[in-house]
Amino acid sequence: MQILKNIYNYRELLKTNVQKEIRGRYKNSFLGIIWSFLNPLLQLAVYAIIFPLILKDTQEYYVIFVCTGLIPWTYFTTTITQAAFTIIANGNIIKKVYFPREILPIAVVTSATVNFLISTLIIIAFCFAYGLGISRYIIFYPIVMLVQYVLSLGISFILSSITVYLRDLEHIISIALQVAFYATPIVYASDTIPEAFRGIISLNPMAHIINAYRDIFYNQTMPDFKVLGVLFLISIVICIIGYIIFNKLQKGFAEEF
Amino acid sequence: MEKQENVIEVDGVTKRFNIYYDKANTIKEKLLFFKRNKKEKHTVLENINLNIKKGEVVALIGTNGSGKSTLLKLMTKIIYPNEGKIITKGKLTSLLELGAGFHPDFSGRENIYFNASIFGLTRREIDERINQIIEFSELGEFIDNPVRTYSSGMYMRLAFSVAINVNAEILLIDEILSVGDQHFQDKCFEKMKSLKEEGKTMVFVTHSMYSVKQLCTRAIWLYNGHIKMDGNTEEVVEAYLKETA
Repeated sequence: MQILKNIYNYRELLKTNVQKEIRGRYKNSFLGIIWSFLNPLLQLAVYAIIFPLILKDTQEYYVIFVCTGLIPWTYFTTTITQAAFTIIANGNIIKKVYFPREILPIAVVTSATVNFLISTLIIIAFCFAYGLGISRYIIFYPIVMLVQYVLSLGISFILSSITVYLRDLEHIISIALQVAFYATPIVYASDTIPEAFRGIISLNPMAHIINAYRDIFYNQTMPDFKVLGVLFLISIVICIIGYIIFNKLQKGFAEEF
Repeated sequence: MEKQENVIEVDGVTKRFNIYYDKANTIKEKLLFFKRNKKEKHTVLENINLNIKKGEVVALIGTNGSGKSTLLKLMTKIIYPNEGKIITKGKLTSLLELGAGFHPDFSGRENIYFNASIFGLTRREIDERINQIIEFSELGEFIDNPVRTYSSGMYMRLAFSVAINVNAEILLIDEILSVGDQHFQDKCFEKMKSLKEEGKTMVFVTHSMYSVKQLCTRAIWLYNGHIKMDGNTEEVVEAYLKETA
């Protein structure tokens, strides 16, 4: 359990890195931290206006419906795109000093989580604005978030270390994420998918995570814990495998810059 | 001499670097020009065995390219050996390149926090020694100015002050005894001496034979990736000077 020891010993470094990620993102920008609200809100506005026009019948409270999918999805994509870049962005320090390299992807995922927590206020605000309110099932929200955290961390370990050796992976990731956006029930509901494709969609972990958020905020029912439990186990396995890959590849990081 | 435990054990270490003529760094290049990935292996260190005991002050000497700095980098775990292994015991700090992680827009004080956290210090530990660090750096009121306004000497003084006050058990130092003006150099030298008396283990890479003789208890002469001589400082330095003269 070297990793836990490393994180504990270097907790101050992790903390400053998380702060730097959060503050650095909007530093020197005119609206500052407001961007972390404005970005998803603008995106939301686009989907909430366009899709009801195109699709014949959309779900009721479509704004809430979309934002329960879009905001967790943004959390997922920011982690992945930033994690893929984090080792390269810190190459300068990596070749000069030793510190546990895993601090970098962990800091990325953690700072994105803080941002996600702030963005959740948007979901809650819409729930109240449309008179839907908040149900008691909100107590399960941290559990769903934990599953997503572990999953994102696992993927981040893998991608952050591989991009060092294959620099154009970044571009592949951004294309893959665009495809994945439509392969995930964000702007549509998972039960509107044709029978033939349901099998494929059910392999998408983000589909289940978004469904769980949707159960909590939109349907206001109990999330499916059987699915969530399986997903959590899978996420832990991905995280462990990811860390093993990361740990193997990190030995060569300093020689790649 | 009393028996002391080994704090650094280098066991059969070989390090090779790949020298690429034209490195394929992307998937596209790897697929299209797989021939391009031609590389040559360059062995920097070959089958190095050495043990360093607690409290020893060791100098690594040798001409440029003999593998001294590579050996230090291996010890701090920035890079890893191709064969063999290195075990270090206790908190280790390396002063290979000063000021890693310095942020030019932040003040000297803030940078002390950044830099010390990279060395693995907690907030409380930094709070405890911040005054000591500032005092040692002799930056005075400049400590609250952004680091980009510093002269290179001031920059180095700040970086050195942080690294030296981390309170590590093992210090690895690469050619940085020439920091700042004469006054500051003397001060660093005194600090090293007092660290030596405290029983810290130190490994130096240096070309200054004067400081080697003054400070070190043991010298290791590296030549073309092999240990050519290892032993008493006086003897090794003398043999080295004779050969290179």
